Amino acid sequence: MLLTPALSLPLQTAWLIPLYGFAGMLVSLPWAFGWFRRDAHRPPAYLNILLTLLAVVHGSLVLREVMANGPALIGMPWLTVGDLNLEISFSLSLTNVSALELITGLSLLSQIYSLGYLDKEWALARFFALLGFFEGAMSGVVLSDSLFQSYFLLEMLTLSTYLLVGFWYAQPLVVTAARDAFLTKRVGDVMLLMSVVALTAWSGVTSFDDLYSWSAQDTLTPLAATLLGLGLVAGPTGKCAQFPMHLWLDEAMEGPNPASILRNSVVVTCGAIVLLKVMPLLQHAPVTLVVLQVIGTISAIGGSLVSIAQVDIKRTLSYSTTAYLGLVFIAISLQVPVLALLLLYAHAVSKALLSMSVGGVIASTNCQDITELGGLGSRMPATTGAFLVGGAGLVGLLPLGGFLCLAQAVELVGARAVVFVPVFLITNALTALNLTRVFRLVFLGPSLAKTRRAAEINWQMALPMVALTVIVVLTPFLLIRLESLDGLLAFPFWAAALVVSSGAAGLLAGALVPLNKSWSRSLNPILRWFQDLLAYDFYTERFYRVTIVNVVATFSQLAGWFDRNVVDGVLHGLARFSLSSAEGLKLSISGQTQSYVLTVIGAIVLLLMSLSWVLQ
Amino acid sequence: MLTILLLIPFLGALLICVLPGVDSSDNSASVGRSRTFTLVTLAVQCLLSFGLLIPFSAVEPGQQLVEILPWLPQMGLEFSLGVDGLSLPLVLMNGVLCLVAAAASRSVENRPRVYFALLLVISGAVNGAFLAQNLLLFFLFYELELIPLWLLIAIWGGANRAYASTKFLIVTAVSGVLILAAFLGIALVTGSVDFGIRPILTTQMGLTSQLVLMTCLLIGFGIKIPLFPFHTWLPDAHTEASTPVSVLLAGVLLKLGTYGLLRFCLGLFPEAWSVAAPWLAGWAAVSVLYGSLAAIAQTDMKRMVAYSSVGHMGYVLLAAAAATPLALIGALFQMVSHGLISAVLFLAVGVVYERTGTRDLNVLRGLLNPQRGLPLTGTLMIIGVMASAGIPGMAGFISEFLVFKGSFEMFPVATLLSMVGSGLTAVYFLLLVNRAFFGRLAVAPGANQNPKILNQVPFAQQIPALSMSLLILLLGVVPNLLVGLSQPATAQLSELATLVQPGGL
Repeated sequence: MLLTPALSLPLQTAWLIPLYGFAGMLVSLPWAFGWFRRDAHRPPAYLNILLTLLAVVHGSLVLREVMANGPALIGMPWLTVGDLNLEISFSLSLTNVSALELITGLSLLSQIYSLGYLDKEWALARFFALLGFFEGAMSGVVLSDSLFQSYFLLEMLTLSTYLLVGFWYAQPLVVTAARDAFLTKRVGDVMLLMSVVALTAWSGVTSFDDLYSWSAQDTLTPLAATLLGLGLVAGPTGKCAQFPMHLWLDEAMEGPNPASILRNSVVVTCGAIVLLKVMPLLQHAPVTLVVLQVIGTISAIGGSLVSIAQVDIKRTLSYSTTAYLGLVFIAISLQVPVLALLLLYAHAVSKALLSMSVGGVIASTNCQDITELGGLGSRMPATTGAFLVGGAGLVGLLPLGGFLCLAQAVELVGARAVVFVPVFLITNALTALNLTRVFRLVFLGPSLAKTRRAAEINWQMALPMVALTVIVVLTPFLLIRLESLDGLLAFPFWAAALVVSSGAAGLLAGALVPLNKSWSRSLNPILRWFQDLLAYDFYTERFYRVTIVNVVATFSQLAGWFDRNVVDGVLHGLARFSLSSAEGLKLSISGQTQSYVLTVIGAIVLLLMSLSWVLQ
Repeated sequence: MLTILLLIPFLGALLICVLPGVDSSDNSASVGRSRTFTLVTLAVQCLLSFGLLIPFSAVEPGQQLVEILPWLPQMGLEFSLGVDGLSLPLVLMNGVLCLVAAAASRSVENRPRVYFALLLVISGAVNGAFLAQNLLLFFLFYELELIPLWLLIAIWGGANRAYASTKFLIVTAVSGVLILAAFLGIALVTGSVDFGIRPILTTQMGLTSQLVLMTCLLIGFGIKIPLFPFHTWLPDAHTEASTPVSVLLAGVLLKLGTYGLLRFCLGLFPEAWSVAAPWLAGWAAVSVLYGSLAAIAQTDMKRMVAYSSVGHMGYVLLAAAAATPLALIGALFQMVSHGLISAVLFLAVGVVYERTGTRDLNVLRGLLNPQRGLPLTGTLMIIGVMASAGIPGMAGFISEFLVFKGSFEMFPVATLLSMVGSGLTAVYFLLLVNRAFFGRLAVAPGANQNPKILNQVPFAQQIPALSMSLLILLLGVVPNLLVGLSQPATAQLSELATLVQPGGL
């Protein structure tokens, strides 16, 4: 490790922070494998929480240093082969370290939450081992200073997502969800790998700063730059669950809720941060920027529309994650990184809180279908409060994080490309509508069969939820620390008015739209058609099944057939030919010695002649 | 030292056949004794191969620890052995994997002494082929390893073993004939009958003769590797072979082909190689894609792993075609990581087959079940599968990255196509894990039947696969262990091939 005395101890040892998570995984393994039987499964949970706490504290020390003295860079060589020089390097910039704090902080809260949520889970040790792995990979991704290392850790994140989604592997929906989560991200990752390989091959460097200065020289043809850019964008698109790689996040809701909290908030943040880091490399590929904007717009509007038609309480949230990350994509493509970061932070804490609240509902009712829930408001005050505060923090209506970000967005985006302002406003309105709808169905109205005996959640879940509620309320003050107060409030009145009115319109629509629990699917055929279209996510899954899945399956069947019939067929044909020709030749033997000698001599002469002809 | 290394397994094989104490009227006692004897012999061999690391100098590119004994002085033939950065990792892997194979040979129904003797002969022959410094000597060892393997499949194999072993024998014998013809051709054309490995010899030939001889070698080794369309013997042989034999076949014997590709095709014919390189890169891409696609269509777990070998060995051809220093070290890394990974995969499949009696992916479900299933085997399977799919942190990723990065400058299109193959690996292996290990437990057709309780596998039986998994993780995190050993040798090899031009594919 590069130890420069100029750096203080927390900075010098900052490379330990991702390792805390991985260490948490390692210490949990003996329990996960069932080698330690005596003390049930709580010890690994406590150890993991302790290690994550250590990561949070260490991270906050680093954050304080960075805020006082500016960014720092630490690194050490890892693999040097020929002209390839790979380093482990971490960039301790304000952006990276604050994202790290977000990740470790939310990870800590959701680990405490898991103690309550997964109280009776037999494989708690395995769960915490996976969470540790998850946290370590995420911390590494946001801190990493090189494209190679980012790819390395993103792919580990893919693996840990797969294992976490597949945690309850015996359930049929989990099986497909885990498969789709892995394969969808893998498609993005392979394309990212293509770009990583091409970039390192062409430029010979891997660290972001070197890549920036290399790409500034503009040595690529437009086609190469575009393909490269599309590959770089594909990885984050998969990670952030953006169209057309968004299905996995929705399906992943089959996994345990504490992991969903992290997936909906910080995993997508990791993807967006990687996109932010590769952004300067896309300057020479304007097509890529357009693609990003198209992806972002479709995801934002499509995601918010689809979320409105969902009846699974977790799925109503997952599509709105896709939608908000779509807004982040637009912000990144318009070169307003500050806005992207603010949106990411505000979204992450609010969405985590909403997920916790929803998890509370699921834990106390064992039901995820919002048409079967109702009247929980009076029975679960803390959970209800958390939902309200989380919703308020997400939607641009009250002066919380969501409002500040969206108002800024309207101003900044409007100055660059006014066509995207409606996208932000529509997303805001539809999100408000969706959250109001869910709130009415779940927390208001009379109690139903499944909610009549519901009680407030236990303290292990309530503690992190209440803590996060306070944090969401305080988000504006936290955002000020990232961007000065003047910067944060530097939006004109009309922007604020637009955001508030869009939020209010959504709220009003959500409050007034008729909600019938027993007839949640409309009887009006036209309306029903639209509702089904949205409920089934514009039939994207069906589309994939008949296109890409079908193509791969057909080609593999073709290869299998070719193998059995053509390749093996030729081989068997040769074998049969030699057998039958031997049978035939057997009868042509006269038995005279002279003829044998003649044949042998003839063959030798032929062989030597052909050899000498070939090898002259 | 190298001669002793060779003598150990051959002597062991001899002793196991003639020592009176080994045999017993009780088969299981007989198996136990011959297995212990073999394990000790192979452990000594393994230790000695790792002992080579002490005198071995990792900065010198050439052959080291060379030993020359007169063999047929009348012809000028010498029995000469040597080791360099290219062969040493393979010798080490042979030592480790043979030990693993012997440890995994628990139930040998008949003639255990012959079984273990053949195992020892294979181990020695493979070491001999890697260490041989003489073309004819290499060929002898290359052929020597064929017969024991054929017997191992033909005697201790599955139901369809007669077909599979005959196919294996005939096809690989053709490979041997082609290689011998090429070696004799070199001697004939250059007039040097001492069969030394000297690249300088072939520069005296015309390009046509070089190409003809190299094509002979290429097809010969292409059969062994195996590359499309010479690969169909491999899935059959794997399906019929027992688990330890599959471990050896995939882990060690296929490497003879790739080693020959680097040492003899590229090493002896650099000029012809550079002419053929674009075609070879294209061939590699076809082989990778074909192997991966065919693997998706398989329903037998073992066949699926076998087809994955076809795909993953294609990376080695791609890297060899590009022949940059980085690509060649990647090729070597890929050989080692593929050996370790396929060992883990075959061992896990072997446990599944042993416990459930089937490898059919249409039948098996939910094997991760903690109480009645095979949770540890499932975990090992997931590690192996992920390493094979190139997930970072494991050896497979390092080798794929080195191969891709090293080949991209030369043949970008072929490299990108091979990367698609790497993506397809994730598809079929994920399907394997998802079908067989996720879901509700079922081991018999008609999932409604109450699944029988699978016997838990004793921890000791899992130690080989566990230690291979740890090695995979270790090499994935500290790749310098291997890279540092081989870099000078591969760099020297790539200097030979500086003629390869980027372009075409």
